[in-house]
Amino acid sequence: MISHMPPGLIMILAVFLLPFIPHVWRQIYMLGAIALSAYGLFLGAGTHLVWTVLGLDLILYQADALSLPFAIIFHLAAALNVIYSWHDRDWQQHCASLSYAGAAIAALHAGDLVSLFVWWEATAVTSVFLILASGTERARKAAMRYLLFQVTSGVLLLAGAAILASTSGDILFTKMDLGDAATWLIFIAFGIKAAFPFLNGWLQDAYPEATPTGTVALSAFTTKLAIYALARGFPGTDILIWIGAAMTALPVFFAVIENDLRRVLAFSLNNQLGFMVVAVGIGTELALNGAVAHAFVHIIYKALLFMSMGAVLHQVGTIKASELGGLYKKMPFTMVCCIIGAMSISAFPLFSGFVAKSLTMSALGDTGIVWAYFVLLFASAGVLEHSGIKIPYFAFFAHDSKIETGEAPIGMRVAMGIAAFLCVGIGVFPSLLYSILPYAVDYHPYDAGHVTSQMQLLIFAMLAFVVLVRLKLYPPEIPSVVLNSDWFYRRLAPMVGLPLLRMVMLVWASTLHQMRGLVNAIWDLLDRIMHSPLAGPTVSGRAVLIQAGLLSLLLLVAYAAAG
Amino acid sequence: MSTPSSKSPSDLQRLGGIFTKVLLGIAIVLFGLEFFIHRHGVVSAEESFMFPALYGFLAFLFIVQIGKWLRLMIMRKEDYYD
Repeated sequence: MISHMPPGLIMILAVFLLPFIPHVWRQIYMLGAIALSAYGLFLGAGTHLVWTVLGLDLILYQADALSLPFAIIFHLAAALNVIYSWHDRDWQQHCASLSYAGAAIAALHAGDLVSLFVWWEATAVTSVFLILASGTERARKAAMRYLLFQVTSGVLLLAGAAILASTSGDILFTKMDLGDAATWLIFIAFGIKAAFPFLNGWLQDAYPEATPTGTVALSAFTTKLAIYALARGFPGTDILIWIGAAMTALPVFFAVIENDLRRVLAFSLNNQLGFMVVAVGIGTELALNGAVAHAFVHIIYKALLFMSMGAVLHQVGTIKASELGGLYKKMPFTMVCCIIGAMSISAFPLFSGFVAKSLTMSALGDTGIVWAYFVLLFASAGVLEHSGIKIPYFAFFAHDSKIETGEAPIGMRVAMGIAAFLCVGIGVFPSLLYSILPYAVDYHPYDAGHVTSQMQLLIFAMLAFVVLVRLKLYPPEIPSVVLNSDWFYRRLAPMVGLPLLRMVMLVWASTLHQMRGLVNAIWDLLDRIMHSPLAGPTVSGRAVLIQAGLLSLLLLVAYAAAG
Repeated sequence: MSTPSSKSPSDLQRLGGIFTKVLLGIAIVLFGLEFFIHRHGVVSAEESFMFPALYGFLAFLFIVQIGKWLRLMIMRKEDYYD
């Protein structure tokens, strides 16, 4: 019975009992729900549950080679998050994170666009509570903006699905070609959650406002669900190469000057999504393997980096680079885990990022799209800058911030330890990862030329950093806000919209005033007619006047009728 | 809970020194390997001597410099949106 339920649904159902379970058992209960959900994956590839509603076949459980690696890593991420938040007594957050992960997993197994829409929106309404849980006014506002974007994405998806259903009667979630309104709507819906350029503001705006544990959960699911959706719906769509290349390069510059280290990681997340989007755009078997492999390892090392910064935030109370530094002696375990995450995301050989990113770079090289290849190579140096160096450097080294603290709670450390172990394990034994990719892999990342190329790129980029620091040319961290695409709706829209609104209100008020004046004038005129003599001192009375007028009118009508 | 007193700046400087030496050591090894290992490139320029090293070094400097300029344009006070 359970094995035929859509994976993830059991996690959502489990949430209803969660508030009634004592804290000591809650995490074990959650891990049990995740394990039960994962058990459902053993049903293997195929269509396992179809529900006919209003004449539509809703495919609630469909599995194949593309959904499997995502399903595995989503379950793993959900479990890591449970362990990481072991110390947390806030059951609302646990409800939100478990149902959020469940919704994302269920979405992976939706075989039609309507089912996908349901889970797509469910990820939005569950995850927003992880931001709200911070309890600050700032977080509340960010959560509302986040929800607006997420729900808009869902509405666009539904609109696209509705058009498809009415025109072709087909709502199957399969490969689509961009062309008509329906596919564009669905493409943009995916693009919002994948944080395409100018649609990405919600990511850097909201993720850093969530709780330390909440951000870890957020980093795993929504955006990678979008990558999965793009890989299923739009593989080989050329425009994705352009979009992805822009995504890899642009956030790099923003991350350099951002002071909030979790926001730096959010920019970094955006940059990493770019690599996956480019791979989906290439669309070859090697490239799609690259996109999936990248998503898989990215979830682990990005969670590890967010976990390490969450641990610092949990212990110190701030995550601003300008206030941190020198924590390497106070939090050595966290520091080591952070560096492992940093080396993984930077794609150092023997770390997970290397074995995944190599697939995409090789696929891109094969296509001969040289400009995109060099943009991604440039972005690789950018990743090293913001995630490889900036994050560990400013948190754990840089200068002595005189902060007195200790290591994070044991649950946080265990989760970081597991994630760090996986980063190295996958890097050393890539065949483990390659064996679950959608297509057969005949690829060997560890050839001498490839390894030395990557090492040259990274080591000499690090030397550039050392040179800049020693010459005191590396920009110091400054308490500040970096404007991003959210500026357009947080500042520009009010800046342009408010005066416009005021003008409209002014014109409206003036029109009302004029109309009121006109009405008054008419009443005044009538009043004068009723109470003032029209001619001479003798007044025959207004009633007589009106009766005379009416009789004259009647006479004229009678003449006209007789004639 | 009492924790050991904060590390002195000299500790960080010493770590920085070790880090630099290790990096230079690896860089020298990579320079040496360049004479023995043939690297494959997407374009022939990529196979030229120490190309990835130069690309990485310059890309890093470029990113930081653009970041500095970008600060002048898009950096605001912390309470900008409040």
